[in-house]
Amino acid sequence: MPAIETEGLTKDYLVGFWRPRPYRALDALTLSVEAGEVFGFLGPNGAGKSTTLKLLMQLIFPTRGSARILGSPVGDVSVRRRIGFLAENPYYYDYLTAEELLTYFARLFGYSSSDARTRVARVLDDVGLGRERRLRLRQFSKGMVQRVGLAQALLNDPEVVFLDEPMSGLDPLGRRAVRDLILSLRARGCTVFFSSHILSDAEALCDRVAIVAQGKLVAAGRLDELLAFELQGWELVMSGVPAALHAQLASRFAKVTPLSHDRVTVTLPAEAEPDRVMAALSADGARIESLNPIRHTLEDLFLQRVRESQPRDIGV
Amino acid sequence: MRQIWLGANAVFRESVRDRVPYSIVVFAVLMIGVSYLISQLTAGQDMKIIKDLGLAALSMFGLLIAIFIGVGLVTKEVEKRSVYGLLTKPLSRAQFLLGKYAGLVMTLAVNLSVMTVALYAVLLYSTYNAPAGLRASWEAPGADPHMLIAIVLIFSELMIVTALALFFSTFSSPLWATLLTLGLWVAGHFNSDLRNFGAVVDSAPAIWLARVIYYVIPNLAPFDVKAEVVHGVHVAARHVALTLAYAALYISILLTASVTIFRRRDFK
Amino acid sequence: MSPSTWSTTHASPSLKASDGRPPVSRAFAVIAVLLAAAIGVQVVRDRGWQPYQPESAILWLRSGGAAKRLALGFDMIVSDVYWIRTVIYYGGRRRVETRRTYDELFPLLDLATSLDPQFKVAYRFGALFLSEPPPGGPGRPDQAIALLERGVEQDGDWEYYEDIGFVHYWWKHDYVGAAEWFRKAATRPGAPSWLTGLAATTLAVGGSRESSRQLWTELLNGADASYIQGQAKHRLLQLDAMDAIDQLSASLQRFRDREGRMPRTWQELVTAERLPGVPVDPAGVPFVVDGVTGTIDVSKQSPLWPLPAEPKVGR
Repeated sequence: MPAIETEGLTKDYLVGFWRPRPYRALDALTLSVEAGEVFGFLGPNGAGKSTTLKLLMQLIFPTRGSARILGSPVGDVSVRRRIGFLAENPYYYDYLTAEELLTYFARLFGYSSSDARTRVARVLDDVGLGRERRLRLRQFSKGMVQRVGLAQALLNDPEVVFLDEPMSGLDPLGRRAVRDLILSLRARGCTVFFSSHILSDAEALCDRVAIVAQGKLVAAGRLDELLAFELQGWELVMSGVPAALHAQLASRFAKVTPLSHDRVTVTLPAEAEPDRVMAALSADGARIESLNPIRHTLEDLFLQRVRESQPRDIGV
Repeated sequence: MRQIWLGANAVFRESVRDRVPYSIVVFAVLMIGVSYLISQLTAGQDMKIIKDLGLAALSMFGLLIAIFIGVGLVTKEVEKRSVYGLLTKPLSRAQFLLGKYAGLVMTLAVNLSVMTVALYAVLLYSTYNAPAGLRASWEAPGADPHMLIAIVLIFSELMIVTALALFFSTFSSPLWATLLTLGLWVAGHFNSDLRNFGAVVDSAPAIWLARVIYYVIPNLAPFDVKAEVVHGVHVAARHVALTLAYAALYISILLTASVTIFRRRDFK
Repeated sequence: MSPSTWSTTHASPSLKASDGRPPVSRAFAVIAVLLAAAIGVQVVRDRGWQPYQPESAILWLRSGGAAKRLALGFDMIVSDVYWIRTVIYYGGRRRVETRRTYDELFPLLDLATSLDPQFKVAYRFGALFLSEPPPGGPGRPDQAIALLERGVEQDGDWEYYEDIGFVHYWWKHDYVGAAEWFRKAATRPGAPSWLTGLAATTLAVGGSRESSRQLWTELLNGADASYIQGQAKHRLLQLDAMDAIDQLSASLQRFRDREGRMPRTWQELVTAERLPGVPVDPAGVPFVVDGVTGTIDVSKQSPLWPLPAEPKVGR
């Protein structure tokens, strides 16, 4: 049974005061997420990512279509005991301390006060706010509030976690921490569904991704499948190549970029066979520093698909 | 039920940290100041004026709390988006809303209780200081327990106002919710005049309309027994019981409507 | 709380068909039932209850000056509120059989006109109803005049002068005073031409039915509020009734002179004097005769009862 599945999920908003017209924020989204996966939900701003998450949390109602979480329809309040949710740019009651807020939420889950206490302490430590637990949220920075948000999403050891832009507002340290957190969640068998427009995070973390643009799904699948056929070429970094050889190399191969000292980067087209090139060059006395396949990055895929989905007459 | 209780507690805690101390202090100071002044100026009328002013102040302060906090309960959360954190927990929207209502009712109850204690304290003090002959001339005893009847009815009236504020705030902006609630409170007090409309106006459709409005708009004038209590006139138990029953029914209507609207809202 | 199961296969009975929101039909039903119960409770309760009117009703403000200060610029609206309360107060009082004091009528009108000194309708209402004796009013022509004098001071409209004259004429039976005010009214701008004639008539035959009739007729034609017209019509009908009584009295006297006794029934008189039918007053209710004194009057059941007092001066 998939952890999350949607079918034809559509949301129209009525826009305009005098003669309201429907604005389609999400168009017939159909996808499914297996248990234990880390699923990246990607897209440019305004693509419908937040809309989807809100539909999944039934903060808003769909115009058409349906969705299920852990087999139950999204309206089911009891399923919420098994999931966690982090909103984008979250705001909580700022007259409460972090500890008080989380204790309140923990009690809502149904934990006894002693249970709640232990849990709250644990999640606060997990997100690195152990020391600030008695401070009022009013005094928290944006990044700290974000971490509180993460903490409240994990209070109940959820089976599925929904994160809307979890990295926003975090400095590199914070982002690294979140990344590690997500990986540890996966290790525990938790399903993670997060939306982002930061692709490098997605590349590092996700098993599968979906890309939405303008409310429509434009790509979905395992990362390695989506990017598998996109090998662009090879990047060979060599040292010990005398300058005289550069021109010769350049004539035979696509691109030669000199680096510091006598190091060069040689860019080979996809068809070329790198091992033969390497053998040939080593024979000439060069040393091989590194060989990397140039894949179509997620960013390339993203830009390509997003551009495709846009109407022709809008110049981007 | 537990969820509602948790929510109520949260609201209560928030209000305790903010408002209760201020209203108590203001009221107490007002009362003491007035009673002192009165005792210096008039002879014999001071009791009535203290009671009148005390009950009126209870009513006014209670009304302000009910409207302003009541309106803010939902609108503030929705505006600031803290509602996302709550509605994604195992908490139904109905439980959320009812928790808010219960919390505000608790706040009101505590506020009114403290003000009642202050009022009785002043009355006891004044009674103690008044000479026996003067006391005999009063229509009602100084620290008259019957005033509690008026206070209970004031409290139930405020529970209706709170429910009104909650109802309007589920679908309109804070400004509109405040204006509408206040407007209906005013209308609710003039409502009893509508009952006698037939004696004054001849047009049958107007009379019919007046009747409809009389029954639909919250009828708040019967909750006001301040005049009776101050003059020592007996208030029938039947009146109190039926009026409280009316309050319960009307509040149920408002809460049902509020929950229904709230459950259908999009929180963008 | 039932989980809202929504998908395209379910036809949810909500307002928007494929919306997936929780349905409202059940809520409407619940609210309707509760509202019916609430109305029922109200009806039962109201049977034993009237709003408490303390003997000295508490109008928190009694002085027009204080009201003006407190109204904070909303004088017109507050004035309207007081006016509405006046109308309802008066109407409510008339309905209540047991207690017909109108103590608050003057203060209410006073407040309304202090806040809006040009509230013509309020002044004229006061002129009519403050003067009216119990059970229809407090019987205070002095209050009416006090109110109107403020109107004169503020506005100087000829109608106020006329109304003052009217109060003097009809309620105080002070025909000299009334004529004086009518004369003053005639000098005001916009005054109708008949006022001078009215002044003269009043002076000459004050108290006569003709001048009274003329006064009420003018009021009827010139009135801009329906209750003033109502009053005028009422008074004119009463004057008609008095005319009819005069004729009947003459018939009755003739009968008594001839027969030496009172007729036993109306029918006897009708036959004897060849009257068109059993005499009824302009409201259609038969007249009654006092068997002892022989005076004819309208029946107590008639809406025209009681007929106004009429001193016989100047007839």
